Amino acid sequence: MFENLSKKLFGKSLWLYHCNTGACNGCDIEILNVLTPYYDVERFGMKLVASPRHADVMLLSGAVTRPTLPLVKKAYDALPNPKLVFGVGSCATGGGCWFDSYNVTGGAAGVVPVNYFIPGCPPRPEAIIYAVALALGLVDKQVAPVELKQMEFPIDVYERNKAWEERNTIYQLIQD
Amino acid sequence: MDIVYIVVNIIIFLAFAPLFEGIVRKLTAKVQSRQGPPVIQPYYDLIKLLGKENFIVGNWVFKLAPLMSFAAILSVICFVPLGYTANFLTQYADVITIIYLLTMGGVSILLGALSSRNTFAMMGASREMVTMIMVEPVLAMTFFVGAVKVKSLGIDATIFSVMNTGYSWAVLLMMVLYLMALQAFVGKQPFDIAEAEQEILEGPFIEYSGPNYALFKYSMMLKQMFYASLFVMVFVPFLYTGVYALDIAIQLCEIALVYVVIALVGATNPRLRIDQAVKYYAVLIVLALSAVGLSVYGI
Amino acid sequence: MWLTSKIKQVLMVIKPGVVTLNYPFEKRPVPENFRGAPYWDHEKCIGCGGCANHCPARTILVRDICQEIRVMVYDGSRCTYCGRCADVCPENAITMTDRYELATDDRQDLNESMELFMLTCQRCGRCYDMENVNMIDRMDLQGYRYDNIEARAFIRKTTDRFDPEMLKKTAEYKRPSKIGE
Repeated sequence: MFENLSKKLFGKSLWLYHCNTGACNGCDIEILNVLTPYYDVERFGMKLVASPRHADVMLLSGAVTRPTLPLVKKAYDALPNPKLVFGVGSCATGGGCWFDSYNVTGGAAGVVPVNYFIPGCPPRPEAIIYAVALALGLVDKQVAPVELKQMEFPIDVYERNKAWEERNTIYQLIQD
Repeated sequence: MDIVYIVVNIIIFLAFAPLFEGIVRKLTAKVQSRQGPPVIQPYYDLIKLLGKENFIVGNWVFKLAPLMSFAAILSVICFVPLGYTANFLTQYADVITIIYLLTMGGVSILLGALSSRNTFAMMGASREMVTMIMVEPVLAMTFFVGAVKVKSLGIDATIFSVMNTGYSWAVLLMMVLYLMALQAFVGKQPFDIAEAEQEILEGPFIEYSGPNYALFKYSMMLKQMFYASLFVMVFVPFLYTGVYALDIAIQLCEIALVYVVIALVGATNPRLRIDQAVKYYAVLIVLALSAVGLSVYGI
Repeated sequence: MWLTSKIKQVLMVIKPGVVTLNYPFEKRPVPENFRGAPYWDHEKCIGCGGCANHCPARTILVRDICQEIRVMVYDGSRCTYCGRCADVCPENAITMTDRYELATDDRQDLNESMELFMLTCQRCGRCYDMENVNMIDRMDLQGYRYDNIEARAFIRKTTDRFDPEMLKKTAEYKRPSKIGE
């Protein structure tokens, strides 16, 4: 009986745990900005807790560097079970500028299963609140993949390429 | 018939404690010029915490500690004469039992913290110990001021001593001292050194998650409401009507006013270091002893 | 004393009151020159690849499907919204819009891809004089046209060709020890 009630009320009091995995602190400052009176996120019932065992939501900021990789896994395992992970900032969504550096393992998605990504460098506090509202189901998603095309091509290139592939043995060798 | 009083006590305390905590949070937010959480937010917090997974990090003491703390504060609530009516359990306990049970609640927090095998929990536990030690004499003196006058240690005699024998200088001094010491009783700024100190250290509850943490939080809220109601019962007895339900309603309003004072003081003060808090309390303890001395001489 | 200052502190909040913005329900207009998500205007883009060259996170990729079609893909997951692409574009085809509400649960949602039609030169049908004759050398050039039909099917890379002479020159470069030398 209590479980259904807990599930329904889960969205009304989310507790946030903030984990910085080697960020430049820009995203961390924006996360703390969200708790200031101007953009107050406590009116949704959220508060910042300091121990992952009390928290429901883990906010990851920063491209996950090599020394912090096992620690992020440990912190994720310490969160009790209905849990969400938000990756805040461009570094957490894909590694940012440093995605191919020697010390960076490339963003939060390679370490923990992330529920929501918040791109931005750093994301505006309103963007963070928007992501939280999206997770609670209050607003709709506003991005979708975009494909633009200049004009319809008068040439039938795709079939020509296929014919060429079948004909040329060097291409077959290179493909192997 | 008397069991009704006990049941009403328990129900009122359990139902209203999170509401008053919500009032404190909302008022703190308004003083900081932001819109705070809704007033029933602690109810949501508790129910959500009950639905989370329970990690057991220590041994059997870890599992026992929240239950012990909740049980201690519930037993104290059963004895308390809310509404100016003593129930049948009140004659079986006296003032020393209340002090003992409150200390047992504090000790169970210490047990829970020390069985967590975490350095931060150990530091939080040591601060909680110091807070408990420094707070207890003032609480004891609050009771003894009344006990000395009526020459008995029974709960209803001591708590209603002001109602029965009227105000005196000792009682007024004790009232001021209780208000100044109230913040440490309930564990808010400037004295929330041990428990809610998630900003500086992690506090003694760092390894607790889910339902165990909900029990600890609930016992904290009940302890806050107990201390506020103790102030109302001992020092503000002049709105006494004879009707039970009306008395309870009036007392709840007065408790809400005490909570408003707690919230305002908590929102405007910084957190004191442990040695500064102990120095402040040393002065209060000396003054409390002098209040008891005044009441011995009948002033 | 301290009591009056605490009371003044509580009463001080009456003047501004509650300042919280009712955010998800009422939006505030963004400041000017705000750099949100970039947007390509496909009518103006000429496919020069300048944005791909300047992006610090290498978020923009240029691929040639064949001689006439060039595909430019913007992979939004690493973009730092610096605005260099908009700065360098010769046709002003990229604008940094004011969209900042980009949260999503799937990183593919942030992709933008554009297919461009590249014209051929009117005189000879080829753009540049190729001094490399052999196919292997041409394979690591940028996406320029080919001389013969057989080579058109190869898909080009967009990174520069690695030149061993240039590497030797940089290894032997000596910094001037005095100013003005």
